[in-house]
Amino acid sequence: MSRRTVFVCQGTGCLSSGSRAVYESLCSEVERLKIPDLKVDFTGCHGFCEQGPIVIVEPQGIFYTHVQAEDGPEIAEAHLKNGVPVERLFYRDPVSGEAIPCYQDVNFYKKQQRIILQNCGHINPEEIEQSLEKGRYKALEKALVEMTPEQVIEELKAAGLRGRGGAGFPTALKWEFCARAPGSKKYVICNADEGDPGAFMDRSILEADPHAVIEGLALAGYAVGADEGYVYVRAEYPLAVSRLRTALKQAREKGFLGQNILGSGFNFSINIKEGAGSFVCGEETALIASIESRRGMPRPRPPFPAQSGLDGRPTVINNVKSLAAVSAIINRGAEWFASIGTEKSKGTVVFALTGKVANSGLVEVPAGTPLSTIVFDIGGGIPRGKKFKAVQTGGPSGGCIPAPYMDTPVEYENLAQLGSIMGSGGMVVMDESTCMVEIARYFLSFTQSESCGKCTPCRLGTRQMLEILTRITQGRGKDSDLDTLLNIAKTVKEGSLCGLGQTCPNPVLTTLQYFREEYEAHIREKKCPAAVCDALMISPCQHTCPVGIDVPRYLEAISRGAYLESVEIIRERNPFPAICGRICHHPCELRCRRGELDDSLAIRALKRFVADWYFENIDQIPSPEPFARTNPQKVAVVGAGPCGLACAYFLAQMGYSVTVFEALPVGGGMLSVAIPQFRLPDEVIRKEIAYIEKSGVEIRYNSPVNINFTIDDLKKSGYNAVFIAAGAQKSQQMGIPGELEDLEGFYYGLRFLRDVKIGRPVKIGKKVIVIGGGNVALDTARTAVRLGAEEVEIFYRRTREEMPVSEMEYEEARAEGVKANFLVSPTRIVSSNWKVTGLQCIRMELGEPGKDGRRRPIPVAGTDFFAEADTVFASVGQAPDLSFLPPDSALERTRLETLVVDENRLSTNLAGVFAGGDFVSGPGMVIEAVSAGRRGALAIDKFFKADPTRVLIYDQRQDLLIPEAGKEEEEPEPVEEELDEEIWKPQYRPEIPRLPTEERKHSFKETELCYVEAEAVQESKRCLRCDLEQ
Amino acid sequence: MDKLIAPPEINMERLGEIVSGYGQQKWSLIPLVQEIQAEFGFIPPAAVPIIAEKLKLFPSEVQGVVSFYEQLYTEPRGRNIVRVCRGTACHVRGGKTILKLVKRQLGLEENETSEDLEYTLETVACLGVCALSPTMVINNQVYGHMNPKKIKEIFKREEGTCS
Repeated sequence: MSRRTVFVCQGTGCLSSGSRAVYESLCSEVERLKIPDLKVDFTGCHGFCEQGPIVIVEPQGIFYTHVQAEDGPEIAEAHLKNGVPVERLFYRDPVSGEAIPCYQDVNFYKKQQRIILQNCGHINPEEIEQSLEKGRYKALEKALVEMTPEQVIEELKAAGLRGRGGAGFPTALKWEFCARAPGSKKYVICNADEGDPGAFMDRSILEADPHAVIEGLALAGYAVGADEGYVYVRAEYPLAVSRLRTALKQAREKGFLGQNILGSGFNFSINIKEGAGSFVCGEETALIASIESRRGMPRPRPPFPAQSGLDGRPTVINNVKSLAAVSAIINRGAEWFASIGTEKSKGTVVFALTGKVANSGLVEVPAGTPLSTIVFDIGGGIPRGKKFKAVQTGGPSGGCIPAPYMDTPVEYENLAQLGSIMGSGGMVVMDESTCMVEIARYFLSFTQSESCGKCTPCRLGTRQMLEILTRITQGRGKDSDLDTLLNIAKTVKEGSLCGLGQTCPNPVLTTLQYFREEYEAHIREKKCPAAVCDALMISPCQHTCPVGIDVPRYLEAISRGAYLESVEIIRERNPFPAICGRICHHPCELRCRRGELDDSLAIRALKRFVADWYFENIDQIPSPEPFARTNPQKVAVVGAGPCGLACAYFLAQMGYSVTVFEALPVGGGMLSVAIPQFRLPDEVIRKEIAYIEKSGVEIRYNSPVNINFTIDDLKKSGYNAVFIAAGAQKSQQMGIPGELEDLEGFYYGLRFLRDVKIGRPVKIGKKVIVIGGGNVALDTARTAVRLGAEEVEIFYRRTREEMPVSEMEYEEARAEGVKANFLVSPTRIVSSNWKVTGLQCIRMELGEPGKDGRRRPIPVAGTDFFAEADTVFASVGQAPDLSFLPPDSALERTRLETLVVDENRLSTNLAGVFAGGDFVSGPGMVIEAVSAGRRGALAIDKFFKADPTRVLIYDQRQDLLIPEAGKEEEEPEPVEEELDEEIWKPQYRPEIPRLPTEERKHSFKETELCYVEAEAVQESKRCLRCDLEQ
Repeated sequence: MDKLIAPPEINMERLGEIVSGYGQQKWSLIPLVQEIQAEFGFIPPAAVPIIAEKLKLFPSEVQGVVSFYEQLYTEPRGRNIVRVCRGTACHVRGGKTILKLVKRQLGLEENETSEDLEYTLETVACLGVCALSPTMVINNQVYGHMNPKKIKEIFKREEGTCS
């Protein structure tokens, strides 16, 4: 094409985004400006519908996305007339944000190899000349003139083409069986009943390159000796049907269909059959029944359609993609095709990549391409900074493949091994906000309603599985349900006739295999970790909060200026609003539904705002009254960290008398000894503890529980129950040479942080290396910067992905000058004269996933290197320290030197002794410690009441401000209705103010600041009030 | 099911015309009922014996096919067919909420038709426009990237054009 052409995409996707108006606007503008040598034309679907409407200017390949009719004049004037492309309409890379002018350079296209989709988006599908220019019908001509039908089949056999409809049966064999079957009347059928939700490549091909299908079907007819073909298209694709009709008419006019095609004596005609809405008709025998105007139910095979198909005659049925590949093979030869892909799967495969991925669209890659390349390189990864969870391949009968298996090359066999299938090529990406139980239920509800009912295992089994899954998502699951599910799934798989029944248990089986803990959370704790299952929760933020704070209510209180009320709502579930308002890792924000719209609510920062307001105005606010003591029992809590204090606070709230025993002269535990002042000032901790004391909790400082004063002694002195929350404060050793030599310049990060906090003098060199990737490592590095180290580097054996620190913290540290080195591990601390001189290291790579699902780092041989340093910190983890328990203590321990504790009731082997928090589960987040404390309080309450049931922590509405229960429902809330319209407008969260980097680097002043009142109130009003939905 | 909707008058003459065009070709039952549905919006029960006679089938065979396929309807439907996609891609991007809100907007449950025959609400397994999910379709117009605000806008506009 020498002259310039503007192609406007008119696939179903782009049309729905307004591409017809774009086309008209461009036509009229080009006309008006009288631009010479330029044609405005349209194409079928590119398979990149999300970016639509798409406009391409050839021959340069300038690629415009999201074009609207209003952009027409600008494109015509600036680009088409004056030759200056319109940059603002260029595609932007979702990762780098860079504007990319030509489609050839867009990652989404660049990494694809398009054979089946080669013409999609590059020709006008309604003009056969454009197809002919691209070489369409050359293969048919070649076959008819130069090849016998047997040679066509041999060519296909040598190419190794396997059915692209999903099952992967060799296409050439199907054709051969049919060709050899006796009988003069035979049929070929194109299966375009693309019923799998999440797959749309067949639609795209029919809309964008219908002649590819016609040519392929004609070739099939020639090869097997059929003179009649059918295309069975599903009813939901009206545009595909109309384009196919046009193409058929043009092909007939040009003599590619009809009698004596190209003078070869071969006759061939094609009919279109429109489906009537039945998923199972994608199965070949059901499809044939449907063409014959019968109920579309599968029948047992054999006989296979190749022997007895349509009308009882030998019939070949091929998928749209298989047929589209045929002409390319005949044209370019079997050898070329077989050189692409892998040993067992030749050629390319087409996927419809959708779901939680930045670039949604059709992806064609050589078979054997790793899943990760498709999802992360071509797909651009997960949008909105969320975490990848699983990819579901093969439509509703496919399985969910989790993160650790993302390097698997896509092949029929590999996917089957993981419990999934290639299927129709649907590939739906799921992020952390997808509930795997709910998704299994969703797929089952689909296959259950589409089961034709012929086979009993499928008809009844899908119904039973659906019922169980529904029950689990509604919080009514039983422990035995999982085994029952497995049993039924296996029966359905083995006892069904067709592909639907044989594969529909896959989603259940794979989610059970890879995400069993999510099922267990639903069944045992009535928790949906992804905060999706409506029946289990009131709002996603509250459900995700480990302590279940009624977030929407406290935000609503802020929006009314009722700050005291807001703090009280928080304190119902968490006595540390000011601390958590600063350092909570806020899982709630990750599930905030507003985040799907624009930004999630700044829930943590708002918590800080009200907490700070409270302590600023504490003089004007009545001091909290101690909780009334309504129960006779006394409880001792060991350790005044967040877990112990929370437990004490909630016990006091329940009317028990509580005493906390703390070994140190200050409370706060790790908060006080490990978290630096610039993240959490001491004063904040002090005020929150004071509040807890005023509420009636007695704290005895400098009162260690140890061999001189044991747990037994506590019980003897009148405490009816003991809760141990002694934290995890022992630094873990790395186990490398040099660690135990007491070298000058080597410290454990935790010890260093504590010394800095209590003002002990510490010596720090110029070149500092911190080993580790957690919060303590990062805090150590940032503290070292503040103490004047010139160079501070972090060495972490995994990657940024695996670091459990927030993006904000990491970015702050980097801005302050901390450098991060990933995939390196120390092997030896090098010293001279008992002084550290550096670190011997080795590079790592990520290997197979370990038990925790994270890929395990393994050393790469021969990559040793030396890193110079005068100070080395180790912060590779903390563990509980059980040394305070006397050796003869009857408390049962695990082999890993932790206590044996029931995870629901937190009870130990001794009646009345409970333990929780970091002390039991290892170092975790503050809010998790608070949650464990609350759980402990509830368990102790049950213990006193001799209630043997499990502790169940339900989400509750906090109706503390509504005096009469039940009144709320009667009163209409007109405010919400009015809010409705306005609230959906995009509004972004205000940035959380912070100290400038330079100021931060040299002081221990708190780095993060508080919202001002107006900002906080404004921000709180963005809440969508999910809690009012039900 | 007791429905308050009075079935619209069926022009039996027109029905006869349509049916008379069939009978020669094999496998014409589905194309025939599809044409009847295109004309009347549904397949009137009265048509079943007429079709059966013409195609030399038992009425039960005709009924069996009509009831098997999801998109063959035996009850009158609204002038506007609203179909919310419940495909996988739409599902993971919040299609469930869209369905909930459309239900609320129209005051209809799935597969229900409004009393004034203005709207019928249905779901569809997949529209094949997954890249624009969540999606819905009103008659043949596809709407992509649905959100609560868009639902309000679309139905406001629809109301303007319909009434």
